[in-house]
Amino acid sequence: MGGYAGQILYVNLTSGAIEKKPLDMDFARKHIGGLGFGATIYLDLIKNHPVDFDPLSELNPFVLMTGPLTGMKMNGVARWTVCSKSPLTGFYGDSNVGGFFGAQLKFAGYDGIVITGKAAVPSYLYINDDIVEIRTAEPYWGKDVYTVTDALKEDLKEGQKSGQALVIGPAGERMVKFASIINNKGHAAGRTGMGAVWGSKQLKAIYVNGTGKIKIAKPEALDELRAELKELYADSIGIMALHSAGTATHMDVGIIGGDIPIKNWQQTEWDDIDDIGPTVIEEKIFAGHKTCFGCGVACKKSAEVKEGPFQMEKGPGPEYETIATFGSMCLNSNIESIAKANEICNRYGMDTITCGSTIAFAIECFENGLITEKDTDGLRLTWGNSDAIVKMTEKIGKQEGFGAILSLGSAKAADHIGGIARDFLTTVKGLEAPMHDPRSAHGYGLAYAVSPRGACHEASLTFEAEGGLIFIPEIPELSADLPEGSEDRAQLNVACQDYGMFFSNCAIFCNLGGSPLNATQAIDMVNHVTGFDYTLDEILKIGRRLWYLKRGLTNLFGARAKDDRLPNRLMTVLEAGPTEGSVPDMDRMLAEFYELRGFNAEGVPEKQILESVGLPELAGLLHL
Amino acid sequence: MGMFKTTEEFEKVIVGFFQLVGNTPIIADKLLESKMVIRFTYTDPDLVVVVDCAGEKTEVRPHDTETKAVVEMTMSSDIAHRFWFGMVNLTKALTRKEMVAKGPIPKVLKLLPAIKPSYAMYPQYLDANGFGQYNITKAYTPPTA
Repeated sequence: MGGYAGQILYVNLTSGAIEKKPLDMDFARKHIGGLGFGATIYLDLIKNHPVDFDPLSELNPFVLMTGPLTGMKMNGVARWTVCSKSPLTGFYGDSNVGGFFGAQLKFAGYDGIVITGKAAVPSYLYINDDIVEIRTAEPYWGKDVYTVTDALKEDLKEGQKSGQALVIGPAGERMVKFASIINNKGHAAGRTGMGAVWGSKQLKAIYVNGTGKIKIAKPEALDELRAELKELYADSIGIMALHSAGTATHMDVGIIGGDIPIKNWQQTEWDDIDDIGPTVIEEKIFAGHKTCFGCGVACKKSAEVKEGPFQMEKGPGPEYETIATFGSMCLNSNIESIAKANEICNRYGMDTITCGSTIAFAIECFENGLITEKDTDGLRLTWGNSDAIVKMTEKIGKQEGFGAILSLGSAKAADHIGGIARDFLTTVKGLEAPMHDPRSAHGYGLAYAVSPRGACHEASLTFEAEGGLIFIPEIPELSADLPEGSEDRAQLNVACQDYGMFFSNCAIFCNLGGSPLNATQAIDMVNHVTGFDYTLDEILKIGRRLWYLKRGLTNLFGARAKDDRLPNRLMTVLEAGPTEGSVPDMDRMLAEFYELRGFNAEGVPEKQILESVGLPELAGLLHL
Repeated sequence: MGMFKTTEEFEKVIVGFFQLVGNTPIIADKLLESKMVIRFTYTDPDLVVVVDCAGEKTEVRPHDTETKAVVEMTMSSDIAHRFWFGMVNLTKALTRKEMVAKGPIPKVLKLLPAIKPSYAMYPQYLDANGFGQYNITKAYTPPTA
């Protein structure tokens, strides 16, 4: 067998107990890896306790898992996953991230880490191959992500070789509800507030240094596949675009069809959009290409602002989602300020989608007189006020003044502000929607509505399939030429969930770097690395089971049909622009989806459905 | 059979539009800055058009198969037609090879902001030049005798 490191690390921060458990290969075969492992282990840890525990209490486990491909020197496979109960939504939360940490963890001999309990004092986990210790984080507590990343690497390096640091910033320590966990300063497990879970456990960082290697079960077959893929990648226009300008390319492409939310989702056209597009980025802030472990796509870009009010040292640059949330959403056409806001989010450790969206929401509250400069500590939160946007970002990280209110996320901030503030929300299940407008592609609307973690374009492959980035000829729904509108979007979503759980949740392909692959190539890669003999039918069954597991966890934490709705803001008909007159037919899509997935009227999968996909324990918990 | 029945008809429409775009300063200035020479090879009906931005003004040359182009783009006339309405999902068209592009793709993508105004121009151009039957943004009313 290959692909796996062969052990899972269990760390109890309360007792200090550290246990290394061998990875059961039957378990590996059944769940593949990533969230297939993570969500299964998570359910196992909470199933015997009341489920209404506080996500910020020691009762909330945290699970970090790599996949069988993590650590391979190939395009689009550097990723790994985390899951826990989300402090932002109160439901199941997870996040998927690239960078270098996952590879290094496997080289140290571990496929994942399960963390329970809460440390008595600020701590970090030190892993150096077989040596695993819980150490005091006193010297690092209170310091930002960049400082701690550099310090850990310097303090713990052996000779010239440094390991990888996974770190929370001051936002995580203060339990900002959308705090992230960050590797190498810019690779963020951002969505759903996993950094706050670490903060509640007083876990500042995990440092890992590994010297081992991962075995490949069928190296010759993998080499042949690599040769085939080399040509595929060389011819892929999507990959060329990502390599050249990164995800910011979408600023130029997405605007054509009305995909980019502008002015807190009130419009899809804006004269200043090119001021935050890839050409201006290259002229004003671009400072080099970056990548994840082993990936030649290199879609990450560095940024630097050499002078002016938004000066920042060279570091990770803003990606598309960040450019849109802090830019078009706020009518902010100053790209340097967006780079600065991104840097603040990275240093404090905050999700840029929730942070930027929450500021756009607050601007609309300000413009409508629901809050004033008295509330905002003197900041004029007006459309396009780049200075105020950057200052408010920092206040959120510090939980200072009005920043403390916004650090709860927009949904809870709306409850605090009152009045018509909720009309300006863009959340599903408490998670702010990403920067892709369902009025331009109706299937996104259903994807956001039923995603277990809340509004998310990467919770399945609907964004990639309906948006056109992937083409999977082996799966009819993922290669069909769908008519415009809401027709057949329920079937599309089901197929995108089942295949997506395999692709980007279990095998953990990158949805961007892995986009040229068809299903045969993706499955072959997993088989050649692991030595398993998965078929398309089998991986779809595994994917389906994981999707029901994640949905069931969210149901277990209280989500019901009423939580599967899009906010009014995303359902408002626009009177101009590419999406003029178009809104998703949510009633139709939800009814079809519930039927296909075997949900009852409450939005809970029927008991026999859960049993039939191999989740009898979950069925028992949901249907007492 | 696509929307255009003959090469001649498609040529009149697309070449005329490229000339209009090439003479519209807000777009043309940026095209000329790029120095790009693009050959469009259309199918159903077949037509080759070179848009040459390497000189002092944009030149549009139908049937030019000789010029060495920087970028070669191949697509059906229907895809081309829908593209100029802003109705083509570019990502999907490229992924599914409905549009095939060869050459320095990032440079081509950088032209997207420059040509944005042309999406609004195309239906107006069709209506103003007797090609109203191809304007798919409105119900077509045939001209009365």
